Amino acid sequence: MTCREVLELLLEYVNGELPPDRREHVRHHLECCPPCVTYIETYQVTIRLTRQLPSAPLPPQLLNRLQKAAAELKGERQGGKE
Amino acid sequence: MEESDKVSTGPPLTPEQVFLEHGPRVYNLARRMLGNDADAEDVTQDVLLQVVRKLDTFRGESNLATWLHRVTVNAALAHRRKRAQRQEHEIHDPLESFSGNGFHTHAVKPWWVTPEKAAENHETSTLIEKAIAELPEIYRDVYVLADVEGLPNAEIGEMLDLSVPAVKSRLHRGRILMRNALAPHFEEVAS
Repeated sequence: MTCREVLELLLEYVNGELPPDRREHVRHHLECCPPCVTYIETYQVTIRLTRQLPSAPLPPQLLNRLQKAAAELKGERQGGKE
Repeated sequence: MEESDKVSTGPPLTPEQVFLEHGPRVYNLARRMLGNDADAEDVTQDVLLQVVRKLDTFRGESNLATWLHRVTVNAALAHRRKRAQRQEHEIHDPLESFSGNGFHTHAVKPWWVTPEKAAENHETSTLIEKAIAELPEIYRDVYVLADVEGLPNAEIGEMLDLSVPAVKSRLHRGRILMRNALAPHFEEVAS
């Protein structure tokens, strides 16, 4: 198995979705390929870093626009009922 | 969404609740899909006002969160089409950066960064956000929905009209591009 073949299977490998025989082929390659081991570690760090990205709050100007639009909508509805 | 899905128990939501509790999620998803704050604000406003117009039909929040994901994705895709700035240039397949015999062509260095160390680091978050914004759109959408939003592949496939194998293929390529974009910033420097 080549490094490229390992890379192609990486998503399923890290998710534990590979069939046992293919998983064994990957493991065998990793035993003698430090660059692929490092590559997999950094691939997994990338996933974990992305998963913990903080959420930005709504920008104040957008919140103001939304509140104004909601108030107008409420006014239109009340006007419609009269 | 079916009417029966929208109605559940609980008091009606107020516009303020919708903005404060659901707004950031809508805004962040739109911002990451569109890679642009101004466009994300427009999409967020459209989506949240759609909800406010239909507040009478929502009771409780569990179904609203799922519905918002879908509506935000659709609104972001529509906004992108309207913007007509689709990337025309050829997209390089990240799986093709190997030698002819399929082995690494250059050294793969370990990273100094760890998720634990990076959790509170603003600079790291900025680098990751920038790398996401620079992903080609076909990989970015799937990457954001899977690895930022944590949605299952089947749900992403339904939202983007893709098969599950296509979602997995795009996600894998998106992850590789992200990994390769971050590597120069995080690789250990040989002493």
